[in-house]
Amino acid sequence: MASFSYFDFQMKSKVNHFRRFPTELLFWCLAIVAILMIDPHSQTHFSICPLDILGIDWCPGCGLGRSMKLFATGEFLASFEMHPLGGIAWLIIAFRISELVKLLKTTSNYG
Amino acid sequence: MANVLKHLPELEGMELGYIQGILKNMDDEQANLFAQVYRARRKDSQMVLILALLGFFGFAGLHRFILGQIGLGILYFFTVGLCFIGTIVDLVNYKSLAYEYNIKVAHETLSVMSNGMGQTFSQEKEQNDKNDEA
Repeated sequence: MASFSYFDFQMKSKVNHFRRFPTELLFWCLAIVAILMIDPHSQTHFSICPLDILGIDWCPGCGLGRSMKLFATGEFLASFEMHPLGGIAWLIIAFRISELVKLLKTTSNYG
Repeated sequence: MANVLKHLPELEGMELGYIQGILKNMDDEQANLFAQVYRARRKDSQMVLILALLGFFGFAGLHRFILGQIGLGILYFFTVGLCFIGTIVDLVNYKSLAYEYNIKVAHETLSVMSNGMGQTFSQEKEQNDKNDEA
């Protein structure tokens, strides 16, 4: 019995260690902050897209960030023209963040 | 008290600790049933990793689909994994994605077991009675 409780203690400290880094939650929150800081009307823009760095001009995801920014500022038509998924992406990401927060609450209360 | 290493030896890390917390309150028979159902339903983190890697060949977001996140799956698929950035992030935390899905499955299994347990036992008893008569 004593060895089991020691095992439990070890597991718990390991689990807690992992729980401190909600990587995905952090990623989505940083992504939203970055998107809200985009200026969608400038001609040349700074891009962290790996394809752009490799020198390929177009990919299916191009303009999604600018589209989301335009959607947030209320220019829905321009947003749809930039990338049709802009508005839907807001919905999906908001849902995902709420799921991740719920998960954080349930897992940190167990065991 | 059932030991997780005896029933589900393939688990590791966070999942191992979590399932041990669940199995703590079970006897060996219950734990056996739980292990059978859970093993059939859980997703291996290696599968998530491989499907996420497919994102570099143009089929992004397949791991999100099999983890039941259809919305994000569609978003990833039509934007090549948010221009590869989403794919790279998922390669980093593929383990927590699988873990998240697996604890959901564990809770599902637990609730199904607590609903169906009485029935299963009564059926078994009937079977035993019939065997006794024969």
